[in-house]
Amino acid sequence: MNVVSRGIRNAFRNPVRTVAIVLILSLSIGLALSMLLARQTVDQKIQSVKNSIGNTIVISPAGVRGFEGGGNPLTTSQLAKLTDLPHVTKLSESLNDRLTSSDTNLTSSINPGQLGRRFAQRFNANNFSDSGSLNFSPPITVLGTTDPINLANTQGGGSFSLKAGKVFSSNSSADVALVGLNLATKNNLTAGSSFTAYGSTITVVGIFDSGNQFSNSLLIMPLSSLQNLSGQSGDVTSAIATVDSVDNLTSTTTAIQTALGTAADVTSSQTMAQNVIAPLENVKSIAAYSLIGAVVAGSVIILLTMVNIVRERRREIGVLKAIGASNIRVVWQFICEAVSFTIMAAVIGIVLGIFAGTPITNTLVNNSSTSSVSGPGTPRFGFRLGGGFRQSLNNLHASIGWNIIVFGLLAALIIAIVGSTVAAWFIAKIRPAEVMRTE
Amino acid sequence: MLRVKELSKSFKSGETTVWAVNKVSFQVDDAVFASIVGPSGSGKSTLLSLLGALDKPSSGSIEVGGQDITGLGDHRLIKYRSNNVGFVFQNYNLVPNLTAIENVMLPMEFSGLPKSERHQRAQELLNQVELRDDKQLRKPGKLSGGEQQRVAIARALANRPKLVLADEPTGNLDSKTGKLIFDLLHNLVKSQKTTIIVVTHDLKIAGKTDVKLQLADGKLVQRA
Repeated sequence: MNVVSRGIRNAFRNPVRTVAIVLILSLSIGLALSMLLARQTVDQKIQSVKNSIGNTIVISPAGVRGFEGGGNPLTTSQLAKLTDLPHVTKLSESLNDRLTSSDTNLTSSINPGQLGRRFAQRFNANNFSDSGSLNFSPPITVLGTTDPINLANTQGGGSFSLKAGKVFSSNSSADVALVGLNLATKNNLTAGSSFTAYGSTITVVGIFDSGNQFSNSLLIMPLSSLQNLSGQSGDVTSAIATVDSVDNLTSTTTAIQTALGTAADVTSSQTMAQNVIAPLENVKSIAAYSLIGAVVAGSVIILLTMVNIVRERRREIGVLKAIGASNIRVVWQFICEAVSFTIMAAVIGIVLGIFAGTPITNTLVNNSSTSSVSGPGTPRFGFRLGGGFRQSLNNLHASIGWNIIVFGLLAALIIAIVGSTVAAWFIAKIRPAEVMRTE
Repeated sequence: MLRVKELSKSFKSGETTVWAVNKVSFQVDDAVFASIVGPSGSGKSTLLSLLGALDKPSSGSIEVGGQDITGLGDHRLIKYRSNNVGFVFQNYNLVPNLTAIENVMLPMEFSGLPKSERHQRAQELLNQVELRDDKQLRKPGKLSGGEQQRVAIARALANRPKLVLADEPTGNLDSKTGKLIFDLLHNLVKSQKTTIIVVTHDLKIAGKTDVKLQLADGKLVQRA
């Protein structure tokens, strides 16, 4: 029998005490694991929320939204300084315009329907031919851009695919266009064919499918080409700044707004998402503190237990020292005993953690999000966004992985070693002459 | 040979200093059965713990086989105890959750003896003290007082010590068992060539030892 097996055997010397210690300790380890699990699950959720926000900032001329509103366009020179701002990795500029039948030989592929006709009548669109009849043809939206694929993705919801031809380069100034699939079909356009717009001949370089009828009825041209052809030299009606990390979105949004002043409306989803993330961050903090608390509690439990055991076995320790055991050997034996307690507790604690992890996480998240997200001052859009996220937060599933189990065992080991330190000090203090003491 | 010179041990009791052992000097040859007698509080057990290097003296020296053990550091004292001294206590002091044979194997484990040798020697020693068969596999709680003391004696002899120190080894035993244990110790002196020093109240037992040291108030008052 060696010191390790003696330590393990000593752990079972008093079965009632062993059961009590293991149960209390397993609750502590189970709670620690649940908190770790909650923290990990919430952290993953925060990351997924951040990823769903995206790391882009939309810049529009102040007061403009699409073809509505008023104000003055931004200029390429105004936006140029944004690329020097910290964390801005890319800047895509675009110019929106509409081609009516007097500007182009193309026909829109969109059926106007009731909404189109109502729109034309309400805004007194004199330029629209046959605006009151069923044959009314809506204008064709043309977008000039320095980033054609990204723009098509933005318009179409992220499913751009090139059906024919190629994509023009971002710095192109040629009179070329990418044509949406529906518009191309309607006007019998293919890659290499041409059409007229603004009195010039435009060559079709590619046909794209972007996933919906609106975006498949678009024309996308190089920014400088559209600026020149439409007589809007240097004008930009929209820009998208890409930021290096979602975490820098808020600060960069503020920096862009400061750089452009009142000339631009600068928006990102960060503020709205922050309302959802804030309670999750609270849960993370609560979980972290509870985790530390549970580990400390476990350490204190095992520490008091081991001190008590050492005091009970003073004479035995004296005997061991008297017959030739070194301090280190005796301490090691008690550490093995403490590790045996904590390993048994860790096994039960891990099982507890597996079963309690998800309910505890959901309870923490629900309590926290109820009190933080749905305040009366939450903006309408933000409320909708927050509500959507919150719904998904109610279904958080905390899954235990090997890393958690390893952590559990590691925590048990740390608890055992920390818990044995004071006991070790007591052991070192016990003189071998203790054995001569008569009780 | 055990040589003790001017050995003293004092304790502080409040403001006063109590001399538990006061300038004790004596010499005991190898393979001698010696006894220390004296009334309670005369310093017998303190002297025994000093001889066994369980405690450090306030002054004086103890030489065992020519080596002064009073100047040894903690690490060397552990080695000294492990290799040169065996202890037998009044209340046996066996480890309760180890079997008799495991208790005997303990000192050999501490001195680094291989496991197979430990087991064999422990068996031999237990046979020598006439604790045989299944009794060797019993835990102390399942053995009588006399049997436990036999295990303690076997444990004391495990590392073939030069010196065995026994503190009232028959104190908790009836007179018949006490005599058996005493005879066992007496025989071991002859068979193992070991010096045994026994602390006892029993003057009859002391009278049968080769050397009798009588203490009173920490001082050696008689050597016979």
